[in-house]
Amino acid sequence: MSLDVQTHQADNGATVVAPTGRLDVAGAPALKDAISEAVKTGPARIVLDMEGVSFVDSTGLGSVISALKQIRNGQGELRLAAPNQQVRVVLELTTLDRVFPYYATVEEALTGL
Amino acid sequence: MRSKHEAFEFHATFSQLDEGLDVLHRSLERLRQATGRPSDDRPLLLFETALGEIGGNVLTHGRPSGTVRPVEYALRFEGGVVEASLTDSGAAVHEHLGRDMPAAEHESGRGLAIARSLLDELGYERDGEVNRWRLVKRL
Repeated sequence: MSLDVQTHQADNGATVVAPTGRLDVAGAPALKDAISEAVKTGPARIVLDMEGVSFVDSTGLGSVISALKQIRNGQGELRLAAPNQQVRVVLELTTLDRVFPYYATVEEALTGL
Repeated sequence: MRSKHEAFEFHATFSQLDEGLDVLHRSLERLRQATGRPSDDRPLLLFETALGEIGGNVLTHGRPSGTVRPVEYALRFEGGVVEASLTDSGAAVHEHLGRDMPAAEHESGRGLAIARSLLDELGYERDGEVNRWRLVKRL
């Protein structure tokens, strides 16, 4: 099962990147490509909508860290929304929840972004 | 309703990354169904996370170019304990086994540390030309 990634603009102009499937060693390149595309036009305000992500592994997590670095280097901001239980467990286990404060919904993540 | 302690066994061989990862997740879905556990059962979810890490490692580093030997996989559940075994023909990986969790800014190197922390036992041995992985967790 490969990762499908959809991107759209929210009403406030921020970009919502929504992967669907497993964000693992097989799916991570698709997310990297989508983020690279989203930051092309300048400082990016991006919400990564994790609702459709059923499973994440350390390589998938690495692609999110890479996205965060890329976006912050361009003076942008990345927010994580709606991670499921398995994603939250991995974020907490790796203490990356301190780096990626996550929001319960995309709407919450978009507020003030 | 099946008993929580009913024995379960699953065997497969695979060679490709997508195919192999699909098989690993599908085998745990079958175990979930066989034992009547909900989809958000935490111990099984932790085991699946560890299996995804080791399986991903085996399927990327354990399949050197030109290798024809498939990865052998078995999943067993008995007496409340789940055990997975994976055998691959990649290079020996013992030098990575003791690695600690990397700092937050690192993009890689977390897989084995994650798996180790989620399992009751993570076994590895080099047996001739193959690597044998053993993952054990009481559910």
